[in-house]
Amino acid sequence: MAGTGTLIRLALRRDRVVLPIWFCAGLLPMGVAASFAKLYPSPDSLRAFADQCMSNPAIVAILGPVFAPTVGGLTAWRTGAMGMIVAAIPSLLIVIRHTRAEEEAGQREIIGSTAVGRHAALSAALIVTLFANLVLAAVVATGLMSLGLPAAGSIALGLSWAAAGLMFAAVAALAAQLSASTATARNIALGVFGLFFLIHTAANSPGEHSGVWLRSLSFSPSSISPLEWTRLIRPFAGERWWLFALVAGFVAVLDTAAYALSARRDLGAGLLPPRHGPAFAPPRLRSPLALAWRLQRGMLLGWIVAFALIGLLLGAVSKTLPTLTNTPQFSNWLAHMGAHDSAHAFLRIVLYVLGQTIAAYAILATMRMRSEEMTLRAEPVLATSVSRLRWAASHLLFASAGPAAALFAVGLAIGLTYGINAGDVSRELPRLLAATMVTLPAVWVMAGIAMALFGLLPRFAASLSWAALAAFLVLELGWELRQVSQPVFDLSPFAHVHWSAQVTIAAWIWLTVVAVLLTTAGLFGLQRRDLG
Amino acid sequence: MSGMVKSFGPTRALGGLDLSVRVGEVHGFLGPNGAGKTTTIRILLGLIRADAGDARLLGGDPWRDAVALHRRLAYVPGDVTLWPGLSGGEVIDLLGRLRGGLDPRRRQSLLERFDLDPRIKGRNYSKGNRQKVALVAALASDVELLLLDEPSSGLDPLMEAVFRECIAEERRRGRTVLLSSHILAEVEALCDRVSIIRNGRTVESGTLAELRHLTRTSISAELANPPSGLAALPGVHGIIVDGSRVQCTVDADRLDEVLRELTRAGVRSLLSRPPTLEELFMRHYQSEPSPSSHGDATGEHGHAPAAR
Repeated sequence: MAGTGTLIRLALRRDRVVLPIWFCAGLLPMGVAASFAKLYPSPDSLRAFADQCMSNPAIVAILGPVFAPTVGGLTAWRTGAMGMIVAAIPSLLIVIRHTRAEEEAGQREIIGSTAVGRHAALSAALIVTLFANLVLAAVVATGLMSLGLPAAGSIALGLSWAAAGLMFAAVAALAAQLSASTATARNIALGVFGLFFLIHTAANSPGEHSGVWLRSLSFSPSSISPLEWTRLIRPFAGERWWLFALVAGFVAVLDTAAYALSARRDLGAGLLPPRHGPAFAPPRLRSPLALAWRLQRGMLLGWIVAFALIGLLLGAVSKTLPTLTNTPQFSNWLAHMGAHDSAHAFLRIVLYVLGQTIAAYAILATMRMRSEEMTLRAEPVLATSVSRLRWAASHLLFASAGPAAALFAVGLAIGLTYGINAGDVSRELPRLLAATMVTLPAVWVMAGIAMALFGLLPRFAASLSWAALAAFLVLELGWELRQVSQPVFDLSPFAHVHWSAQVTIAAWIWLTVVAVLLTTAGLFGLQRRDLG
Repeated sequence: MSGMVKSFGPTRALGGLDLSVRVGEVHGFLGPNGAGKTTTIRILLGLIRADAGDARLLGGDPWRDAVALHRRLAYVPGDVTLWPGLSGGEVIDLLGRLRGGLDPRRRQSLLERFDLDPRIKGRNYSKGNRQKVALVAALASDVELLLLDEPSSGLDPLMEAVFRECIAEERRRGRTVLLSSHILAEVEALCDRVSIIRNGRTVESGTLAELRHLTRTSISAELANPPSGLAALPGVHGIIVDGSRVQCTVDADRLDEVLRELTRAGVRSLLSRPPTLEELFMRHYQSEPSPSSHGDATGEHGHAPAAR
């Protein structure tokens, strides 16, 4: 443990920009609560809005049930899933960054040779995420209390975010011990998150949201997902504090396992043994495209498989959504978005959210070039007869065709399962496939933004690309809560393929043109700038 | 290349660097860490663009004609990083193919000589072995020019010897080699001509013989009588007289007079040693205010700045 203090200071220094930005995300619930308070000033209007949402099976399937028709209750309902993502993903990435990534890059060796204990890096990473999550919780709680919301609910919501963060910090700590490769460790942790998130989402879908099992926790299939626990804490609706003990137990078990594994292995080694590769390259490995395929195929196939599984699952569960349109409001709503029943509406929304999710893949695939550049692996390739244009084009093929392939996979899976359930594959498959592919040009715009930044502002490319995606999502939330006007929301590429909008061919073409222009600007910049 | 200037923000990496490498020679490119060696090589590779100056590489412009030129050269970076999931053999084949050809027999013999297992994945190689992967890929390629950036850092003495043999072979095959290094013995053993740079400027350039001509010869002698006027002679430095033994260094153009003075005192034994590159190097990188007067081909020379 010796040296942990020094390593904590080192980690805080390395994350001195990321952490404050992350803490700002803790202000989102305050913004949501303020909007609800403004839109629905009386208890009656709040109750009317809550009833309206609860009577819309598509919305319940996505966001879960409203536990209490108050400003606090609606805020907890609207920001629940958001909190899981906002707290868990950064926590997980920070732990990997200060443990396995440092070890693989060899920085740990320098540190390990000084007076630093064997577990110091792991301890420092866990303590930093603990501290950061508590700050995030404090930001959430203070923001809500400043609006006059009850202290207990505000603190419970803040801590439920922190609980998600700390549980996935522990998952990442364990994953970091398993593999000698940073990428594999990160993918294991992200995969576990994706699995739990999917279980949580699927649990909302069967339309049994008012059933007793959600309240009682007993024999609920969804409560095996620790992410579900953070929602069952029920902030502002009779907080169940004892669930934090369950969270603490989960964290303790995983952290203990991580320490036990860390004590048993060599520095730099994983538990999965290293394997030899071939002595000669296969004949195909002779172009930058073949190299890009080798580097990107794992991530691409992972996303395609994950999306196909999500599609199969959602297509299957959506049939359990009630088909009757029970209120006139709801049938108007369905007519407005051009859906014929609630299951169809639910799938439209889900497919749109999956389109936004695949934008993250597009950014990752584009940023692969930046990491190749920074690790100096691009240099030997570009010192051969490979032009910068050809090198970039090889990676951009993955950033553009990759999302298309993953969306096609999910559209095909949903179309088939839903079509078989509905007994009309030939009608449902093309419709759902089209509803999936419609988000593609917006995803291309995100890849274009990432490419433009990589070419023109390489040092900030990764952070600004993610910031752009985050800004578009916040813009959309504000628009949904009627705090952001339509013309402002139109700045986001997703506004033009939004599930509630009629997507026109013209919008599709325009988005594609913007994506091409941004990519061209990035290539232009890359051709002219210094590398490295 | 001449008058190369390159700044990174407020840091000036190159401040008017000159370098000329003749076809078929092994050219040593010497300088301490941070002198601008890697920056120079990266400009030659068209990876970065110089702010000013004129550079020609194999008859082309290194920035504009990068792709065409890269078919004719191979490059070994100073800090080799490999893709974690690709084996050494795959990297060697890939880089060779991207350059436009690899001699399979030479690949095999180099792997044996460097004692390198090509099946190991990139993440599991040591620094020295990563260096060997890049070296085998470059040396087995069918190219005219080799750009090697501190290629032997990380190699053990045995492998260093293999590396020297390989470079000697390359010279016999008529390939041109630019070898950047701060290992003097290596450059001394391998290179036909040398350029020494410091703080982004060329301070010396020429054959080893030419450079030695500019420096002092070390003399240690045992004399019959104590030397009388030796210390007063111009061009004699660092003289130590211990009874009838004398040690000093002498400027090349003053050797005549010093020898006359020694014979006058009666020489019993005499040891004279040409300057090693080590001494050349120390002279330029230690802040010695002595004005070095010489005339070399580059015209970029003169007063080594007094301060680092």
